Amino acid sequence: MKKIVVVIAVLVVLAILVLIVIAVAGGSYNRLVKLSQAVDSQWAQVQNVYQRRADLIPNLVSTVSGAANFEKSTLTEVTQARASVGQMKIDPNTAPTDPAKLAAFDQAQGQLSSALSRLMVVVERYPNLTATENFRDLQAQLEGTENRISVERRDFNLVVQNYDTAIKSFPAVFYASAFGFQYKPYFAATPGAETAPKVQFNFGTPATNTP
Amino acid sequence: MKCFWAILLFVFCFRAFADEVIPPAPAQYFNDYANVVSSTTASQLNQTLDDFERQSSEQILVAVFPKMQSDSSIEDYTVRVARAWKVGQKDKNNGVVLFVFVQDHKMFLQVGYGLEGVLPDALCKRIIDEQIAPRFKAGDYDGGLTAGVQAIIAATKGEYKGTGATVADSRTSHGSSSPFFGFGFIVLIVIIIIFSRGSGIFLPWLLLSSSGSNRGWGGGGFSSGGFSSGGGFSGGGGSFGGGGAGGSW
Repeated sequence: MKKIVVVIAVLVVLAILVLIVIAVAGGSYNRLVKLSQAVDSQWAQVQNVYQRRADLIPNLVSTVSGAANFEKSTLTEVTQARASVGQMKIDPNTAPTDPAKLAAFDQAQGQLSSALSRLMVVVERYPNLTATENFRDLQAQLEGTENRISVERRDFNLVVQNYDTAIKSFPAVFYASAFGFQYKPYFAATPGAETAPKVQFNFGTPATNTP
Repeated sequence: MKCFWAILLFVFCFRAFADEVIPPAPAQYFNDYANVVSSTTASQLNQTLDDFERQSSEQILVAVFPKMQSDSSIEDYTVRVARAWKVGQKDKNNGVVLFVFVQDHKMFLQVGYGLEGVLPDALCKRIIDEQIAPRFKAGDYDGGLTAGVQAIIAATKGEYKGTGATVADSRTSHGSSSPFFGFGFIVLIVIIIIFSRGSGIFLPWLLLSSSGSNRGWGGGGFSSGGFSSGGGFSGGGGSFGGGGAGGSW
């Protein structure tokens, strides 16, 4: 009789333990799903702002090329960089899990950034162009878009770090990969990448190397 | 030993330069920390912006600082400050903050996600270049800020509907009624427990610090001197995405 009581007690304790494990694992699984979705929605946001920039470019190019004898080489650079960004095959709704893919995307966007900033420097030599209202509006839009890009990239890195930390933490670390929660790469702050694409419009002194 | 102190001093100096300061959320709509605006204009603009939140729920803030306390760029620094202040309503993100740094001769208009449509970057740039900067250049801070605030209001009017009350109003009425104090506190603790299960440990502190400082639980409540109507500004939880424009004078 005593034996049965002990067995029942042990079984009850075991059942409680199993329930606790399931609850903890289930809670942490749900949390991973949430974090993973946060990464994807932030990725969509990043795509959004990059798309916004790409959409601005045709207008910018046509405005600039309308200026008398504008240097064509910088313009071609911008249109080429935009074309190569457009050819990137990347899912806008799911964040990439392949670091190489993200790096390639980042590199293509970085090339467009630097082509654009070179264009904006060259444009300073054409005061007739920069004085027009149309161009000044475009300039403000482009500047704002670059700001949005840096904000969304930073937010993306934050949510990815949350997610990556979560899948490497206990207890998720035991089952994360089994349920398809893969490590997700984030944007690298390559040296100069933060400063090079920055579009500087307020030059203290007018450009001295006028042709 | 001397060497050690020298190194320590150097480290501290370095830190002093590298650290940036995110100022605490202001208690008013119009905040002149640099003392360049006359008190009549300041209280007038504050009243205008208070009224505007009542009728539109949009929160427009002006913050005039003597100097930017960061090594970062103005657009990057101000977006983080505006986010920290949670300007705008939570579900609408309809906040606007005009930052002015007097000694740097720089300003930036940060626009919340929900107002980017009516206040696009190009319009922000025009407000700054055409309304504010020329007056600042002439030393007329009162005129520049008045014209700027009017232009922002004109652009954003009608985009959202207000409730007739400000966020600060609802917070003070909850906080100061003492019979509900204990009940509110218990609810808050329950909320903290619920929230802290999902999102790490610092959320409760966030909740505690934001509600604690805004509701003025410590003492005689939240009534700042000078401005008769309402309890001043209190952030609604809005966020920012880098929209807006900057300029210099």
